[in-house]
Amino acid sequence: MTSNQKKTPATGAETQSPEEEFIPRLDVTVAGIHFQNPVLTASGTFGYGQEFAHLIDLNQLGGIVVKGISAEPMPGNPSPRIYETESGMLNAIGLQNVGARKFLEEKLPFLRALRTRCLVNVFGYSTEDYVRCIEILNEGEGIDAYELNISCPNTRCGGMVYGNDPRLTEEVVSASKRVARRPLLVKLSPNVTDITLLARAAENGGADGLTLVNTFVGMAIDVETRAPRVSNVTAGLSGPAIKPVAVRMVYQTYRAVQIPIIGIGGIAKAEDALEYVIAGARAVQVGTANFYDPGASLRIVEGIRDYCRRHRVHFADLIGALRLPDHPAAPATEYAST
Amino acid sequence: MVTDEIVIVTENRPLTGGHFLLSLHAPRQARSTRPGQFAMVRLLGDSSALLRRPMSIYDVRPLHGAAERATRSSADGMTGIKPGAASGNGDRSELIQLLYKVVGRGTQLMSELRPGDEVGLLAPLGHGFFEEEYLEQAKQAGEIWHVAGGIGIAALLLPAKSLAKAGIRQRLFFGGRTKEDLVGVEDFEPFMGEIMLASEDGSRGYRGYVTRPLEKALDSGYGKKLLLMACGPWAMLQATVELAKLHGQPCLVSMENRMGCGLGVCLGCSIRVKGEGHGSYERVCTEGPVFWADHVIWEKESIPKV
Ligand SMILES: Cc1cc2nc3c(=O)[nH]c(=O)nc-3n(C[C@H](O)[C@H](O)[C@H](O)COP(=O)(O)OP(=O)(O)OC[C@H]3O[C@@H](n4cnc5c(N)ncnc54)[C@H](O)[C@@H]3O)c2cc1C
Ligand SMILES: Cc1cc2nc3c(=O)[nH]c(=O)nc-3n(C[C@H](O)[C@H](O)[C@H](O)COP(=O)(O)O)c2cc1C
Ligand code: FES
Repeated sequence: MTSNQKKTPATGAETQSPEEEFIPRLDVTVAGIHFQNPVLTASGTFGYGQEFAHLIDLNQLGGIVVKGISAEPMPGNPSPRIYETESGMLNAIGLQNVGARKFLEEKLPFLRALRTRCLVNVFGYSTEDYVRCIEILNEGEGIDAYELNISCPNTRCGGMVYGNDPRLTEEVVSASKRVARRPLLVKLSPNVTDITLLARAAENGGADGLTLVNTFVGMAIDVETRAPRVSNVTAGLSGPAIKPVAVRMVYQTYRAVQIPIIGIGGIAKAEDALEYVIAGARAVQVGTANFYDPGASLRIVEGIRDYCRRHRVHFADLIGALRLPDHPAAPATEYAST
Repeated sequence: MVTDEIVIVTENRPLTGGHFLLSLHAPRQARSTRPGQFAMVRLLGDSSALLRRPMSIYDVRPLHGAAERATRSSADGMTGIKPGAASGNGDRSELIQLLYKVVGRGTQLMSELRPGDEVGLLAPLGHGFFEEEYLEQAKQAGEIWHVAGGIGIAALLLPAKSLAKAGIRQRLFFGGRTKEDLVGVEDFEPFMGEIMLASEDGSRGYRGYVTRPLEKALDSGYGKKLLLMACGPWAMLQATVELAKLHGQPCLVSMENRMGCGLGVCLGCSIRVKGEGHGSYERVCTEGPVFWADHVIWEKESIPKV
């Protein structure tokens, strides 16, 4: 990777002069929130931040999105909840969380003290649940934005219904927007035929921005026992395996809506993040990579900085800077078959 | 304190039955390890497994040992590892040793590691065996009985060492499928008053499950106050916990579950424990891996089918 080359003293000496003098700006504003850099950690993969405090400098992150919070605490699914697949993992955690009030009391004070932005991921089983959760969270100080999870595939009567239906999406977004005292991002499910329909519905409902995407519903079977590998039978696929599909969805959505997009799915290094940005994302989130490589997010920040320096651009200039071929084989929303 | 480091393999010694003893040069992590803690091993390279693999920290030791001799004589002349300064309390530990069995892709890749190779090591993790309350219990007990099934033995050496140092009498019940599974027995010998081995095929020790000799020993009861410490497959743990309960002896278990992060954030490793209402969940990586047996819900549905 380029970051390695740049760090060797030999290369550094050779590229003295103009290149070294360009200092790229990495800060970016998304949905009215100013981030010192565009790299956030994804909901459900970074706990409440504190868990990583010994391992990385949390103040260097652009933002932290905390684990999905509901109005009431939730227990979650029985074991086994996770399973490793080729270049990815399945999870059916079941949205285990401490509940909104306990979050405010026990987890928020730590996050508030950081320079890093704090976004709270919110979910519920009815529009009233979402509204109630946001009303409780409104009382907390130091939350920069809400991220509405209408896409979690793990709970039977939960987010799935909202995330698949443009009408319900618009309903829950506008109800949440009415009470939310902070910018409202909506995190979309990729388990739909045309994600731009849901993106537009969220935009119509008043969303200030979109997060794309949540996990893909998947399944794995132990052929010896013929039993599903996770107790919930189906589970959400995340990790490098999903990246090309998620990048495509960001690319399509960028052309369909006016509101900003945060890209997420399988980001493990700077190059992955840049793909999303060039496809149209204003910021990115790092998820599964935190599990096996806690230092990944901060290395991505440095890798983006190196890239910007090398290309002599500020980060914001890269957003949607895709160079399409002169005659694209197919319009943006169609699928090119082989 | 937990750190994430790239560490160097000094030895990866094959043992019987697809078991290996991996020695890693990780001074900082070795010195902060407490008995019963574990590590998350990250295999580096393109073909590797995505997630880290959880492994008990079997032993920590100074560089000047068998492992180092083997390393020095190795063909590629592994060098560059110099003993570091001992920490303030005089702890000279530099190596972390992991005792593991090849069961799938990740452990297969581990078995291919050579001296000089690098791995990512996140350690030490979990609260371990000897939070104050355990040591208190251990001192009150007349004797500690360790019960190990297969590779579960790996969680028990450091506790055995520190209990021996505290002058507590110990006994080991150790079972496997065959004699090839009974690895590391020699390492335990200096610390145990008695060792009872069992193999399902009768190739070494008692023929059958290790819980049978355990049951007999409990039955012949000295009316002694014991503390049981068990690690192994779920069925063995469950049987051990039943026996302990029957005889009114306290029992600690070191649990396993699939792990995504080892850091308490993915919630993939949660098991059911007693709590309000229908019971609650605790994370093996954070609240565990060691639990009081009567805190865990031992129902079929809560079995982690790893
Ligand atoms: C706290 C703890 C301590 C452990 N200590 C040791 C030890 O000292 N020595 C040792 O040999 N093994 C130990 N294990 C089990 C070891 O982690 C698994 O054998 C190993 O992860 C299997 O990986 P694999 O890729 O070879 O197998 P695969 O079957 O290919 O693994 C597939 C997935 O299942 C998971 N998995 C499979 N078996 C287990 C298991 N028993 N426990 C947890 N996850 C599993 C893997 O991590 C991986 O994500 C420990 C497990 C835990 C939770
Ligand atoms: C174990 C786990 C738990 C998750 N929990 C949540 C959650 O509570 N809320 C949410 O919106 N997304 C959750 N996600 C989805 C991630 O935030 C992210 O959208 C997804 O994993 C794709 O990104 P990745 O490939 O970088 O992991 C979770 C993902 C994983 C793997
Ligand atoms: S392994 Fe992730 S929470 Fe325990």
